[in-house]
Amino acid sequence: MKNYDLITPEGTKDLLFEECIIRRNTEASLHRIFKSRGYSEMITPGLEFYDVFNLNSRYFPQENLYKLTDSKGRLLVLRPDSTMPIARVVATRLKDAMLPLKLYYNQTVYRTEPALKGRSDEIAQAGIELIGSELKIADLEVISTAVSTLKSFGMKFSLELGHIGIFKELVRKLEVTDKVKDKIRKLIETKNFPALNDLLDTLGNNSVTNALKKLPALFGGIEVFDKAKALMPDERIKEILDELKEIYCDASEICGNDGEITVDLGLVNKTDYYTGIIIKGYLQGYGSEVISGGRYDKLISEFGYDIPAVGFAIDIDAVSKVLVKNGATPEKPMTDAIVYAENGFEVEALKKAQKLRDSGLIVENALFDSLETVREYAKENKISKIVVVDGKDDNETEVL
Amino acid sequence: MSKPLRIALTKGRLEKDTVGLLEKLGFDCTAVREKGRKLILPVPDANLEVVLAKANDVITYVEHGVCDMGVVGKDTIMEMKGKFFELVDLGFGRCKFALATKKGYDFYSGYGIKTIATKYPNVSRSFFEKKGMDTEIIKIEGSVELAPLLELADGIVDIVETGTTLKENGLEVIEDVAPISARLIANTVSLKLRQKEIENLINLIEENL
Repeated sequence: MKNYDLITPEGTKDLLFEECIIRRNTEASLHRIFKSRGYSEMITPGLEFYDVFNLNSRYFPQENLYKLTDSKGRLLVLRPDSTMPIARVVATRLKDAMLPLKLYYNQTVYRTEPALKGRSDEIAQAGIELIGSELKIADLEVISTAVSTLKSFGMKFSLELGHIGIFKELVRKLEVTDKVKDKIRKLIETKNFPALNDLLDTLGNNSVTNALKKLPALFGGIEVFDKAKALMPDERIKEILDELKEIYCDASEICGNDGEITVDLGLVNKTDYYTGIIIKGYLQGYGSEVISGGRYDKLISEFGYDIPAVGFAIDIDAVSKVLVKNGATPEKPMTDAIVYAENGFEVEALKKAQKLRDSGLIVENALFDSLETVREYAKENKISKIVVVDGKDDNETEVL
Repeated sequence: MSKPLRIALTKGRLEKDTVGLLEKLGFDCTAVREKGRKLILPVPDANLEVVLAKANDVITYVEHGVCDMGVVGKDTIMEMKGKFFELVDLGFGRCKFALATKKGYDFYSGYGIKTIATKYPNVSRSFFEKKGMDTEIIKIEGSVELAPLLELADGIVDIVETGTTLKENGLEVIEDVAPISARLIANTVSLKLRQKEIENLINLIEENL
């Protein structure tokens, strides 16, 4: 039998030294941002019942989940996302809590990805969920948190806004099956103009099909709103556009010159899940979105508690990758001194080292049996000070 | 001038057709025409960098965003799937996926599970899935036409251009699966972050198709 004891499973990896520091620094900065805005951290189990992710809006295809069974034979999954578990907690243990709830998380999620594509099955994520408010200010709160988050990486970024309502209102007017609606949705999502035009041509030539044809092309800056308004057949959609425009303008003001706020009315992913605004964040130099979120007012009700919510998740691994690519050198904590004990003075040396640590230095105990090796080690690791404890009154200090 | 846009071209016929199109737009593609063994070539007056790759790899490079755009056949897109924008039907490289059997063979008769030989297992699977038909799919790397002749398979799903190879081997198309042509695809983030440049290029292309 083949043994796999020396490698990690496909789509996973060990993180060492600098990689860890970058990841933890990114996480620490996100924690700071979320906490400074009054969000509380939540940790949910890595294992959940499959049912949590198998609601009406089947947003997680079963072929992308890691599954296992518990001791009673019940189906479990490694959590593919943190929002569903949080919705579960909110609808149960937090049912009587005062609203709105402001929660954040930072944990890994697991999804099976096709092999040999250079993608990870284990992704470190952080994110916020603002639960129990459907006010515009809640949308803005989440958007401005996303902006602060993107700003904190010190890179060129763009935050994109959309609104699922426009697509939903448009397809509602079409007399076609849900299957065809989903086909239209997919073609808009992939901006597949040729196929979208062909399909809509078979459904007649009217203001609705015409607007749907143009939807994937309606992305960019503020000019998009005027273009869109001219195309939309319906007052309700125009209202949605006005709401989105207001949010767009507010967000641009919040964002300032550090990044760019854009809009894409063709953002129609996860339609069963999102009910209002959709946000995506991009960093220059990374081929996928690093932030993804939006308003999901109907999700928690699937767990039996009908309250609105809005939030986003950020892909920490992606951000770390871009940071490394842009030459971020993490501040590695440098050892200030190393303490070497001559034979018989070990306890004294350990005490001395602790005393130095208490004064705020980073101090290692030398784990060698000759001063010569300690010198070599100190040189290799750029430690500038060796303290030798040998029982004489003055501890010998060498500065390299 | 900003960093050039990188466009991955499927080596071979689609590459030639795309270069032809770029030249029609008035860009100087000398470097690509005289490429030698180089794989990354500049088209300076379009601020483009052409990357030459195999069809599947075009999608991989575009998905990861190391190339901003790509030209690849619909056949590869259907087989590979993936996350990118499929923006323009370039119109060249036209052919089709088709189901073919030995001449006169009644493919849909009987209850037995049919065996399909193909280079495109995903395309074949989804074609028969839509019909609610269980099939056994065998992946073949070379000339798929051999499989029914050697009686390994009942039929094949393959790219058909003129149908000459099928005819010469006593096979015939019994059903079209999907039309194929070259597509211009773009990375989902590149299209947003370099919208103007990409849109300008697409407008130029669409005017000249």
